[in-house]
Amino acid sequence: MEVRTSDRFPGVEWVGDPGDFIKVDESRCDGCANCVRVCLAECFEIKGKKARVRTLAECMECAACWYVCDKEAIVFSWPPGGTGFRTDWG
Amino acid sequence: MESCDVLVVGAGFGGPVAARRCAQAGLDTIILERARVPGEKVVSGLVIPFYGFTFGPDFIREGNPPIERPICRVVNRFIRDGEIYATDSTLRVPKPLALGYAAYCRPFCTWLADRAVEAGVELRTSTTAVEPILEKGAVKGVITDRGEEIRCKVLIDAGGTQNRLAIQAGLRRKYLPEALELYMVWDFEMAKEDVDETFGLSMEFFHALPEEGIGAPLGFGSTLYIFTYRESIHPGLGQFLVTRGEIPNLARLLPRYFENFQKKVTRWKRDIAPKVKLRAVTWDVCPIYAGLIPETRNMPVYGDGILIIGDAAGFEASAFGDGVPSAWFSAELAAEVAVEAVRKGDASRDTLREYERKVWEHPYITWIITDWRRWDLRKVLVSRSEAELRRMIRDHWGVGAFRYRYSGRPLLKAAREALRRDPRAPVKWMEMFTRYYHNWEENRCDPLSTS
Repeated sequence: MEVRTSDRFPGVEWVGDPGDFIKVDESRCDGCANCVRVCLAECFEIKGKKARVRTLAECMECAACWYVCDKEAIVFSWPPGGTGFRTDWG
Repeated sequence: MESCDVLVVGAGFGGPVAARRCAQAGLDTIILERARVPGEKVVSGLVIPFYGFTFGPDFIREGNPPIERPICRVVNRFIRDGEIYATDSTLRVPKPLALGYAAYCRPFCTWLADRAVEAGVELRTSTTAVEPILEKGAVKGVITDRGEEIRCKVLIDAGGTQNRLAIQAGLRRKYLPEALELYMVWDFEMAKEDVDETFGLSMEFFHALPEEGIGAPLGFGSTLYIFTYRESIHPGLGQFLVTRGEIPNLARLLPRYFENFQKKVTRWKRDIAPKVKLRAVTWDVCPIYAGLIPETRNMPVYGDGILIIGDAAGFEASAFGDGVPSAWFSAELAAEVAVEAVRKGDASRDTLREYERKVWEHPYITWIITDWRRWDLRKVLVSRSEAELRRMIRDHWGVGAFRYRYSGRPLLKAAREALRRDPRAPVKWMEMFTRYYHNWEENRCDPLSTS
């Protein structure tokens, strides 16, 4: 499986294709930007007064976005087994 | 479709402990773990308090877990205008006793999972449990990301903070953001002799009022800590997801406040920074006060065919190092109940309710989810009283923590129970402390060689 790294977050690898395991349900999103505020990996952006997933390339699967979404617009699940972030230094 | 007696979801700190106990009782037991290697997705760094090892499972007490460094002293440093103006290092014990042991998550979880496999557990890594199989409200197994159905008599949910399966089963809801801190953690390489010279066998906390801008930035956050490891140090900084009813901009604040800490605090600039090299940056959400919030505490920890342990059950107060022991303790209780349920051929709610009773009788789990003093630490950051801050810290990470009405009572209760079961327990504890210390001193354990 492909392994990616990031200059911003050394010591972490992202393995394989995790797919779109976090989604935004636009019909529920009110554009409050809570997800943007708590995401350290800048996974979200606001476009047209709605949040959308910009990239999950550096997601560490913490789900902070999901917890702070009052409108339940963030759909959070786990990536497929063996994909997504990994580290030896956690 | 396949089936087993007990299916454990999650090979973090609790899952392997529960699975091992079930396999030893002769049950056909499977663990599912979504990572390729147990623990490689667990991000917290850890110092496990001594009581976890003392009262925890025998195989951990009697084994050689991959410990990085014993912690014999807790140093609290208070900062004003970027300078340390007071230090409280009253909490200390002579070696080979230790107040706690520092470890990395990945090798520790791998070590636990290996012990479970040795006991006969089947460990399936790279396998995500996507959803529970529900029949008339009862949990009967899970469906994996490969579309497999794995049925079981009892499911033990050790799936961590996000609590996916228990939510899907309709038993619990996601944690309130008020109960959660986002921790950002930096890992720095540091030569062993430099760690020895700079820290010795200490871990350090740095406390400041919010105006300092180096921690607890908006009033409700934890302090900045430095865990010391064998050849590295592990600073971490946490902040609640909600502060005074608002979601703080953590993407901006957490990196900025650590940068401020590095620039302002002489201890870091002069004594530490010249000797370290950044190796990793990680983060995760931790349920610091989940058990203390009634709404969370009142959510069930069991259901028809399912038992919930560790972080997933809210038995967590990671700011005080209690999360991992709680996972072990609840795992053992859940396994006892699961074994009995399988033997009786009855995994209904009525049978599994016994787990809740055992949880509420457990001195440490009960303390963790009822000790309101922990919650009160937030008040001092609002009051802006330095005297109050120092008093509270002394009662949290100082010698005051061992007063009878704080951790002293559960400690005595657990010790009394251990002595009742085995009068030789104190001798065994001393043997454990000595063995762990020598393992560290003689570098007998190479954590990253565990695979």
